[in-house]
Parts: sequence; structure tokens; C-alpha cells
Amino acid sequence: MDDRVPAGPPGVAQGPLRLGRSEFAPGRLVIMAIVNRTPDSFYRPGITWDDAAALDRVHAVVAEGADIIDIGGVPAKPGADVPVAEEIRRTVPFVRAVREALPGAVISVDTWRHEVGRAVCEAGADLLNDSWSGFDPRLAEVAAEFGAGLVCSHAGSQPPRTRPFRVSYTDVMADVLDRTLGLAGRAVQAGVGRDRILIDPAHDFGKNTWHSLEVSRRLDEMTASGWPVLISVSNKDFVGETLGAGLEERLAGTLAVTAVGAWLGARVFRAHNVAETRQALDMVAAIRGDLQPARTIRGLT
Amino acid sequence: MISRAVLCPCPPLLARELTGRDPAVPGLREACAAAVSWLIQHAPRQVIVVGPAPSTADWDPGSRLDLSIFAPGRGDGGKPDLPLSLGLGALLLDQAGFPGSRVLQAVGGGEPPDQCIRLGEALAGSAGGQAVLLAMGDGSARRTVSAPGHLDERAIRFDDDVQRAVHDGDLAALAAVDPGLAHELMATGRPAWQVLAGALGPGAPGTAVLYAGAPFGVAYLVARFERARSHES
Repeated sequence: MDDRVPAGPPGVAQGPLRLGRSEFAPGRLVIMAIVNRTPDSFYRPGITWDDAAALDRVHAVVAEGADIIDIGGVPAKPGADVPVAEEIRRTVPFVRAVREALPGAVISVDTWRHEVGRAVCEAGADLLNDSWSGFDPRLAEVAAEFGAGLVCSHAGSQPPRTRPFRVSYTDVMADVLDRTLGLAGRAVQAGVGRDRILIDPAHDFGKNTWHSLEVSRRLDEMTASGWPVLISVSNKDFVGETLGAGLEERLAGTLAVTAVGAWLGARVFRAHNVAETRQALDMVAAIRGDLQPARTIRGLT
Repeated sequence: MISRAVLCPCPPLLARELTGRDPAVPGLREACAAAVSWLIQHAPRQVIVVGPAPSTADWDPGSRLDLSIFAPGRGDGGKPDLPLSLGLGALLLDQAGFPGSRVLQAVGGGEPPDQCIRLGEALAGSAGGQAVLLAMGDGSARRTVSAPGHLDERAIRFDDDVQRAVHDGDLAALAAVDPGLAHELMATGRPAWQVLAGALGPGAPGTAVLYAGAPFGVAYLVARFERARSHES
């Protein structure tokens, strides 16, 4: 909009993020809406387990301002085993359905398994959201093969679907940077497009609440790397523990972390509550000067 | 003598840059643009812009409004202390593509009616019949409970009287507007109306009212005036 220096730290300049047919400029704050194809995810379990309900939610979140649909077939928390075939059964037909309903949509799938990644890319997915920090190194190869994007996250030393148990770091942000930048570099080597890679500190994954607060506070160290930063904080336990808030009482805390993250330079925000997140991000964008207010009359009449 | 004159309001929101993504007042802007376009239709040698300000003064005719005083970061190198009324008048002339000479004349908000009328006569006289007048000024800002000055029940009648005088080309009625009442009603356009009356007088000009409304509790009026032409509206 103008030549002012954007909020955030000095560092490597951010470039455009390209996912599917979409290109997101550096100043654009992008919402990734969560659509779980699971009966047992932590937040409102099972609400989009049904096919029709899930597709209804996709249309609703797009109307509310979502830019990316993130489809998950396996909860992050420990629980009943979901074999590869079952994860594919939960996600692939739905990816096809979303692609058919919304040909231009950016479709992400939350998975760590390369077999699932291959199947969803064949069905039309644009982004592989690996919350488990490259646990399956072949996932990056699949992203490269299909020209898809890849999220490179930090989960400490935790294997998928485990909770942190007495985790410690001498410097959690240093560990996050080391891991996510390392994964991003390896993804580039594997052939994933530089403009299709995101890094994610993965709040709560392999972290206690103190660690998640620290990475929230120091997020500018990630954005200074030049890689687009995704944050996934929606209704998570670190918000609940910080505020002493139950699962249904975490929206205000979520939006606060979202706003601080945006101010520190994060670009993609994985969210359950899309309309509220869009409002929070629009407010940040207007404060930064990247978005004009909707209508300004006060004091000007 | 002044052959043509236009009256426009001067709220900051007349500048499109200040209302965000919503144009907010497209009809008002169109009416102002149409009036100013008509004003300069015959390429007058000079446009005299007159508008209310804290004090009467002649401003550098090259001055422009600095929008950043209303919206930090959205300015474009204007003059921060230029009165809003003159800045918006200059903006309207720029938008209409007027390339000629201009006078930017501020008239003090406390200037008594006879002084305003004399100022109008002097401006008209100095122009030697080659100038037109763009008068900037608003009616009451106390039209509703949500208006900037809250509701004063006298406001609607006051503005109706002004609008009728403008519509009828009744310059004597404009010259007679009570400065005390205008002040109480936050009708900041009063001195400009009276300069207009002095510049156009005596006798009734032809007029056309292009816009009359108070969408935000402040009375806006867009009108044109022409000498040597019969009553148009």
C-alpha cells in the first residue's frame, strides 16, 4: 500500500507464497481453516466426521474468509490407531469432493505419512501439513513429485501422536529454528519449490506451555529467516493453561496469540474459528497499514 | 462581478482517501464534482475559493490539503496548516482538472456578516468580471442525537431556512443569517455563505440545488448560482 517498513524484525525479505493456483503476497494474512475428518479430535470432536457436515463447513469457512482448507484424518493426540488405509479412506474422497465443489480452493492435508501424502496429492491436494516434523522423510519427496507445498514443523523429539513428557530445551527457539530451517533446506534439496514451503513452530507439540509462550514471544526470530511462518494455536492447551480456560473458553486467548503472531510477521494462521480470526487479522493488517479500514466516518463528517 | 458561483460542503470525508474501503458518500462527491465542473465550464481566468477558517487570511494559491493530519500515513505532502475548507476546495479544483489561476481566501469563523459581505464584494470587484467563486461551507452539525454536536432541535429549521434561501437565490436571507445562532448550531459555513452573498449581490441569481442532506447529522448543501440567467430550479 505504501512504502512504510512493515512490522516485524529486519531479516531476510519475505517472498510470495504459492499454493495451488493461489499466490499470497508477503503482506497478506492467510487463514487455514481446520476441517477434521475424525471422530475424536480435541476440539468439538466429530463435528465434521459426517461427509455432508464436513462439506458444509468447507463452504461456511470459505464464506467467512478462509484461504486454505486443512483436512485432517488423524487426531494429534494419542488414541485408537488409524492405519494408513483408514487415513486415506477418511481424507482422499473428501479432498476429491472439495476439489470438485471448489476448483480454485487451496487444499491442505494434515498428515505425516508419505503414503497418505501421495494419495491426497493424486486427489488434488496442494499442501502437505506435516505437524510431526518430518517424521517420515519421504513426505517431502512426495510434495516435490506433485509440486505441492510442505509445512516444516518442530515437534521436539516426539514421534507422532504423543504428548510431551518432561520435555526440556536449553533454548527452545534455537531448537525450533534448527529443526524447521533444517527441514526446509532438506525440502528444497528434495525438489519442493522454495515458494511452497512454510515453517511452523508447532505450539504444544513437544512443548509445555512455557515453551509455547516462549516461541510465541520470539516468533520474529522465525519470520526473520524469510520463510513464511504458519502458526497453529487455535484453542490449544497452552492457551487453556495460560488462561485457566476450558476448551470452549479459549477463543479470546487464541485471537490474542494470533494477533501477536501476525504482528511479529507470521503469515498463515490455522484456525477453527474462522470469522473471528479473520476479524482479528484484519484489525492487525489495518494497524500495520496493509489493509484500509472498511469505512471511516468518525470525526470526519 | 462574479458570473458563476458554487457552494460545496467541506467535511474531511469528501476526500476519498479518508473513508476506507467504502466510498461512504459517493453521491455527495458526484454532486460536488458536477458543480465544480459546471463552475469552470467556460475556462474562467480565475477561481476564488472561499472557506471558513480560524481567521481571515489570503493563502498561497499553490497550497494543498495535507490528508495526513486526518489520517497519518495517507498524506501526500500538502500544507498541514491550510484550512480544511480551502484545502478541499483546492482538491475539488484539482479533481476537475482546473489549470488556471486560483485565490484561496479564508474567512474567519467570527467575522461579522457585514465584514463577510464586504469581503465578497471586494473579491468580486478585484476580479474584474473574470472570476468565478467556489464557496465551501456546511450547515449545522447538530441535526441528530448521533451528530458530532448531538441534537439541537433548532438545527433543522435553521438549515431549512438556509437551503430555501439558496434555492430561491435569496442573498439577503443568507446575508441575514445570525452568526450567534449559527455558532451555537455548529453551522461553520455561515461566513462563507455571507461572502458568497456579497460576491453575487445584489439581486437574485439563478440557482440549482444539486445535493441537500445530512447523512451523518451534519447538513451538506451543493448548489450553483449564476448571474444573468433565469431561475433554474
